[in-house]
Amino acid sequence: MEDQRPANPEYSPDGVDVSLIRWMLSMTPAQRLATLQKHVNSVLKLRATLKPRA
Amino acid sequence: MLPSNPEPDFLAILHVLSRHDVDFVVVGGVAATIQGVPVTTFDIDIVHSRESSNVQRLLSALKELDAVYRFPRERRLAPNESHLSSGGHNLLETKFGPLDVLGTIGKDHDWAELAATSDSVQLDSTLLIAVLDLPTQITIKEEVGGEKDALMLPILRRTLAERGG
Repeated sequence: MEDQRPANPEYSPDGVDVSLIRWMLSMTPAQRLATLQKHVNSVLKLRATLKPRA
Repeated sequence: MLPSNPEPDFLAILHVLSRHDVDFVVVGGVAATIQGVPVTTFDIDIVHSRESSNVQRLLSALKELDAVYRFPRERRLAPNESHLSSGGHNLLETKFGPLDVLGTIGKDHDWAELAATSDSVQLDSTLLIAVLDLPTQITIKEEVGGEKDALMLPILRRTLAERGG
């Protein structure tokens, strides 16, 4: 799935990135879950590369 | 033996529960994501029917998932009928990652109540699940009022507004 997020996020008065919400709402529920799954996998991969501080 | 930290696979967990005909509602971060809220979570939360035959089906599903309590980790304690028949929270790890099996959430909201305010969501050709609707997610976070819930509320409310709710 191609990343369609706009380059200039719009923020609500309470600091919420509305562009991110609109991006999520443009997807089907299955695509949203797949996106979450990809994020989790990416974070875990990054975490695995962390080296403990000496 | 489970790997020390199995990588979460949300769909795999949902498929196993569905294949065993477990009555459950997806709540928490995964429910929020499916409803369009841009949040990240590492576990999947469900509220299950505590009716006796459903608890048996859930036990079969959890056995297939190799589910054990996350704490105390070294004991590898599997949930039993008594645990799943109560309104308490069962924080489990499975071969497909963390799974929280909740008897009730918020102020004693159980499966029957939450199922009535859930949406049926088709995730793939064989997987139809109940997902807690966004207004009820907001109501429950408001009544719980914890710090983590308070942090989530603006983004839940804004998503509901963007959906025209």
